[in-house]
Amino acid sequence: MLATQSILSATALQSVIAGQSHVHPKHGARSRSVFSGELLLTALIDAFSILVIFLLMSFSSTGEILYIGKDTQLPKASLAEVLERNPVIKIENEKLFLEDKEINFSSLIPALLDLRKQFSETRPGEEYPGILTVQADRRVKYEILNQIILAASGAGFGDIRFAVIMK
Amino acid sequence: MRHNKKHLDFELNLIPCIDLLSVCICFLLLTAVWLQVGSLNVKQAIGGQSASETEKVPQLWVTMGAAGDLILNVKQSAKIPRKLSSLSLKGVQGRSDLAELNKAVSQIKTLDPELKTVLIQPRLQSEYEEIIDLMDEFKKTGLTDLGVVPL
Repeated sequence: MLATQSILSATALQSVIAGQSHVHPKHGARSRSVFSGELLLTALIDAFSILVIFLLMSFSSTGEILYIGKDTQLPKASLAEVLERNPVIKIENEKLFLEDKEINFSSLIPALLDLRKQFSETRPGEEYPGILTVQADRRVKYEILNQIILAASGAGFGDIRFAVIMK
Repeated sequence: MRHNKKHLDFELNLIPCIDLLSVCICFLLLTAVWLQVGSLNVKQAIGGQSASETEKVPQLWVTMGAAGDLILNVKQSAKIPRKLSSLSLKGVQGRSDLAELNKAVSQIKTLDPELKTVLIQPRLQSEYEEIIDLMDEFKKTGLTDLGVVPL
């Protein structure tokens, strides 16, 4: 009685697919007890489908190239280009990282030259692109960035890409 | 005649659908990238070529002053009148006046459409965000070749 008088069963009877979207715990009417609940799954599948569509639309095939620390806020820009995978120099809490390895400002040029060397060893005959991605907090002073730019120029990295959040 | 009446009602088994959708949602949630990170590209001179060999293209030099002040200097362009080749823009509340900058650069750009190169000269105390804001504003006005002057 409880099952037949519930709102769920009433809506199920009126729906187009009628009773076909129910879970029957013990299959069939013969085993249906008075207290067996019927779960309407159509609404659940609708919600799941909408979620899947939304997530698929916001899915990025490139994945996360940068790992941004909780203390770092990247600056925002509206006309930014798509970020590509290149060597990353990161400034976090006034510390300098090259490819997630902490280094000193004084050893930045040798470290960048090492990257070039590794590239030429692994891909002989190929020209080194000389691209560098800089990831820094929006409040960082140019005083620090200047050292990176100077080191990049010194090591032959002529293309610097500043990581930003797209507006 | 005897009709072999088949039962036409059937039950859709929705459990596998729910399983599949749940797996899809979990995978997509785990791999989702919530922040769209992009990049502003800057071309730096790395030497190797003498100044006399370098092609003379119109350039806009922007010097960042204290309190958001900006000094614009157009170099190597014969199309820009002297009045416009050197401009000074006052900052607003310690930040650069981007609206005024856009207006001034658009005016310069209409006089010399070949102007595409901007060289930004920040102060040591300039914030990274201020430099990026300027770059973004220049990109909006069609100046795409950006550079930052090392100090």
